[in-house]
Amino acid sequence: MFDVTAAALPRSGFRAAVRFEWTKMTTARSTLWTLATLGVLIPVLAVFVAATGSLQPDDTILGASLTGTVGSLVVAAASGAIVMTGEHSTGTMRTTLAACPRRSTVMAAKAIVVAGTMFVVSLAASTAAYLIGSAMLSGDDYASGDPWPALLGIALGFSAVGVLGLAVGTALRHSAGAVSAVVGVILVPSLFGPLFGDWQRWVGGASPTAALEKLSQTSDATVEAVGTLGGWPSLVVLIAYTLVAVVGSARLFATRDT
Amino acid sequence: MIASRWRIWWRRRIRTVDPMIEAIGLTKQYSEALAVDELSFRVRPGRVTGFLGPNGAGKSTTMRLILGLDRPTAGGVTVNGRPYERIRSPLREVGALLDARAFHGGRTAYNHLLGLARSNGIPRPRVDEVLGIVGLESVARKRTRDFSLGMGQRLGIAAALLGDPEVLILDEPVNGLDTEGIRWMRDLMKGLAAEGRTVFLSSHLMSEMELTADHLIVIGRGRLIADTTVLGFIESNSQAVTVVRSPQAAELRTVLETQGAQVTLDPEGGWRVSGPDAAAIGDLALAHGIGVHELSPRLSSLEEVYTQLTQASVEYRGSDLAAATGPGSEA
Repeated sequence: MFDVTAAALPRSGFRAAVRFEWTKMTTARSTLWTLATLGVLIPVLAVFVAATGSLQPDDTILGASLTGTVGSLVVAAASGAIVMTGEHSTGTMRTTLAACPRRSTVMAAKAIVVAGTMFVVSLAASTAAYLIGSAMLSGDDYASGDPWPALLGIALGFSAVGVLGLAVGTALRHSAGAVSAVVGVILVPSLFGPLFGDWQRWVGGASPTAALEKLSQTSDATVEAVGTLGGWPSLVVLIAYTLVAVVGSARLFATRDT
Repeated sequence: MIASRWRIWWRRRIRTVDPMIEAIGLTKQYSEALAVDELSFRVRPGRVTGFLGPNGAGKSTTMRLILGLDRPTAGGVTVNGRPYERIRSPLREVGALLDARAFHGGRTAYNHLLGLARSNGIPRPRVDEVLGIVGLESVARKRTRDFSLGMGQRLGIAAALLGDPEVLILDEPVNGLDTEGIRWMRDLMKGLAAEGRTVFLSSHLMSEMELTADHLIVIGRGRLIADTTVLGFIESNSQAVTVVRSPQAAELRTVLETQGAQVTLDPEGGWRVSGPDAAAIGDLALAHGIGVHELSPRLSSLEEVYTQLTQASVEYRGSDLAAATGPGSEA
């Protein structure tokens, strides 16, 4: 069969590729479980923090409610990585590329599906967490914090981290290596920040968690730990190096044998 | 490389598009091995073309090169006149089965096919249709983790047939199938070729090819050994062997050997004589007054011819199996 109509439309393949990636993400139990974990973890931690009152006097309700976001970020990065590495480990990469031979299209479709899913799930989970926190904690004891548009920024941060995971997964191809690498990128700056000495505020400030902490207006976001760069500029930095990682790994993906 | 690209372009210009596969000077060098070595061939529509070679000969690599999964070091290969990457909706033109186990174990057979259908704008009812063709309707909603090798192979075939393609590329499709499954696959392949499609299937099993294929492309160590019909392959490559039975066996042997013939014992009794043909042997026996009870020319089976032909090119023997685990080996 010679498909003349399809050949005549230059970008007709992209929508189909996105639908393909979306179908793959939503029909595998493992990815659905990961997304569910992400969606549940943030509100559950908000309940825990509010119920135990484990927050600093200078904390905001928003910041306290979003305590779970840092841990969830690891889940987001790992699931982004597995979108690519999972295809290598199961061997479905060959099927995928046989159906969609343009690798840049495959990469872009995966990035869009990961970013979109992360955005929606994390926005819903963070908003739910904030509403829980506001309901359970008294506004007289703590400042409420400014949820809007911070929650949107946090959701964008999740999208970026998911895509960063995808990029690392594309470059490394193996699940274990890729997951360790992105978890390292997310956790090392905040865990081992002090080891960097004077560089701490730079290393910490550029990490994905810093952007989230600043946007959620938590008391953890001290100048020593994460620098003086504001929440939104930090988010821009995160998105910028995510894009660099995506372009670099897409180039690797396009040139390597499968 | 530039020259071959030009040739591909030129052929595309002068030819109306036939559903076929064409390799020109196809070469793939991995870091440690030359997997495919200047391979040129055409796979034509309307017949089953067998792609034959011992394990490690470069069959799977060639198929990956056809599908654009690996990039050739030199030369090129086109499907329907274009490199695979340039085909807009490839599943509608080319169906491929490379690896029977290439599924996400947590996904159902139906959803695996649904994703593929969506990737190429194939309508959803076609998914049920191909599941029916391969006989997997009853397990369509089961996760592929629990599939047997044979069921996996059928699901792979379903995926290959999804876009109703004119060209089919199948790597070892009968692997893991039981006798009934093998017969089913054989009939399916022949049926698809009879509909005018291009069917290209690889195997290391001669006996299977003898029954299924009309045409053979034989490779060894990445090089083309033969590109001919099954019958032509046997006729042109089998040595002229004549089986002779005689009551004076020892005398006949001496006479034949003095005439330069090679004489060996036939497993079923009598002598296998190569060199002189049946008529010459008969004349010789008559001249020496030796009685002859049987004088029959034999054509080697495809198996024998193939073994003989590829023996020199078998890359991996038992002793150096370790070398076969590189990227150039069969998947």
